[in-house]
Amino acid sequence: MKKMIFILRNYGMFIGFGLIFLIFSLSSEYFLDVYNLMNILVQSSLIAIIAVGQTFVILTGGIDLSVGSIVALTSVGSGLMLVSGVPIPVAILLGILIGVGAGVVNGITIAYGKVPAFIVTLGMMSIARGGALALNNGKPVSGLPFEFETIASAELFGVPIFVIYMLIIFAIGFFILYKTRLGRHIFAIGGNREATKLSGINVPFNEMMAYAISGLLAGLGGVLLTARLNYATPLSGNAYELDTIAAVVIGGTSLAGGEGGLVGTLIGALLLGTLRNGLTLLNVVSYYQQIIIGAVIILAVFYDRMKTKKG
Amino acid sequence: MKKVLLTVLLVALIGAVVFAKTTIGFIPMTLSNEYFITMVNAAQQEADKLGVELIVQAGQRHGSAEEQMQIMENMITRRVDAICIVPSSSQGLIPVLRKAEKAGIPVINLDTKFDAEAIKAAGLKPIPFIGTDNYYGAQIAGWFALSLLGAEGEVAILTGVAGQQNAADRRNGFYDIVSEYDGIKVVAEQTANWEVEQGYNVTQNILQANPGLDLIFASNDNMGLGARKAVEEAKKDITVIGYDAVPAALDAVKMGTFAGTIAQFPAEMGIKGVQAALDIKAGKEVPTNIQTASKLIYMANVDWFIDYLSDFE
Repeated sequence: MKKMIFILRNYGMFIGFGLIFLIFSLSSEYFLDVYNLMNILVQSSLIAIIAVGQTFVILTGGIDLSVGSIVALTSVGSGLMLVSGVPIPVAILLGILIGVGAGVVNGITIAYGKVPAFIVTLGMMSIARGGALALNNGKPVSGLPFEFETIASAELFGVPIFVIYMLIIFAIGFFILYKTRLGRHIFAIGGNREATKLSGINVPFNEMMAYAISGLLAGLGGVLLTARLNYATPLSGNAYELDTIAAVVIGGTSLAGGEGGLVGTLIGALLLGTLRNGLTLLNVVSYYQQIIIGAVIILAVFYDRMKTKKG
Repeated sequence: MKKVLLTVLLVALIGAVVFAKTTIGFIPMTLSNEYFITMVNAAQQEADKLGVELIVQAGQRHGSAEEQMQIMENMITRRVDAICIVPSSSQGLIPVLRKAEKAGIPVINLDTKFDAEAIKAAGLKPIPFIGTDNYYGAQIAGWFALSLLGAEGEVAILTGVAGQQNAADRRNGFYDIVSEYDGIKVVAEQTANWEVEQGYNVTQNILQANPGLDLIFASNDNMGLGARKAVEEAKKDITVIGYDAVPAALDAVKMGTFAGTIAQFPAEMGIKGVQAALDIKAGKEVPTNIQTASKLIYMANVDWFIDYLSDFE
């Protein structure tokens, strides 16, 4: 019995995910199909990649509301470069740099300017969205070179390339978070900012880095989304900030910072993707999908709270 | 944990359906707009009549090509027999159209047309289209505006989401008619992204800048209803013409606060979409362009139209 409680406490997220998976497998004959499982992974991958950056930020006790708008900005930015003949690798790199730039501005204002993260990234959310609209007068960009689409449509040993990207980003994120000083400092800042400062760690710099990483991954997300659609629109990335925050908190990372990690975020993103996919296969009307997804987010965090209270 | 379990069970219950018949995937642009609900209901009636199953899925966000792409991918995995779609962008779904073609699942394009050039450039087979000619419908609105104004006055145009073909067609159709007359000045042209609230805000600004405005052409009724509210609050006498003939706009026409609205027949599109899907499945040839009607609805014929619509509620 004690063992059972221990398992529930520590692996509840996995059990919840497993249950959802099981129920969809039993109720839809189309769910447990290799192509469909690949679909889920591909459809979850963008949110998962951007949620890695969001995890870094939330671990410091902050929040990044601007990621969705940064996706749109880099999407339109890289799209315009591509149609005007900039070589594909250069356009990809510059697109990602736009994201890094926005992230660094966020980070400096928050860490050195002492403006609350909620306010700064809310402002950046508006600035980047406006920028995305202004870049091409509100119009989407189409007619991107066909070769660009291959960075999204390619496969490696039968595995869609987006899944590979996701795994690579998680591997790098894992390394940074658990094997480097930056990662340890990010945990420390969220855990106890004052103590971290007193122990001689450069708090503002490490905090800024978290936002820069978040901006970088949002930029990468924007470029990848553009390739997936082979089309760039200033309306893209809408509500990504909410999806990534949801993935992070479902994964058990505390909004207060200092606690959590990337395994949870990956499960959180996959859980959201699985829910959307399964509910669509079961033909649940989108209104109810929204209700169910909202309820799952709240339940997951509620469960997490109960766990920490008892433990 | 128990609660998680309960929720999940609930999910399964809501959705548990047995699939066996011919299935047609149906993807409207959204499900938060009466226009598409009418289309879906008519398609559903037709599907019931013909004994086929209709799977209806829409994105949660208006104009999200990405969401529609995911829905389409999921439908391809489900191996539906055909997909009817109102694309949220005219060019942004090419990669998934390619997937459908590869999987041998025919796609039928309703209401908002895919960019034929982009389809051709991507090397895809032509996709049958069922819908109205928005350019022609907007021309009707233009002629109506001319007759109301006596070919003289200041006009504002509220446009839809930039980059959508029907947004461009509606703006151009109206503009090309009214701009031929020297007495008519198009003093403002702003997007309100098809939304009521944005129509309201944008119109407030337009009224502020153009005190002598006589007429507003809203490229859809939602924006027109927002505009109507702004006009009423400003206590101005400005004519509003809408597009789409949604129920709220029909009420406005009845009350005289809307001069008129252009009706398309979304129910026809839904019905013909289902029929075309079955025809293609049966190996029959389907024309690449099926036009449905556009009609001006104004004081004189609004009751007839409301009666016609009640069949698809």
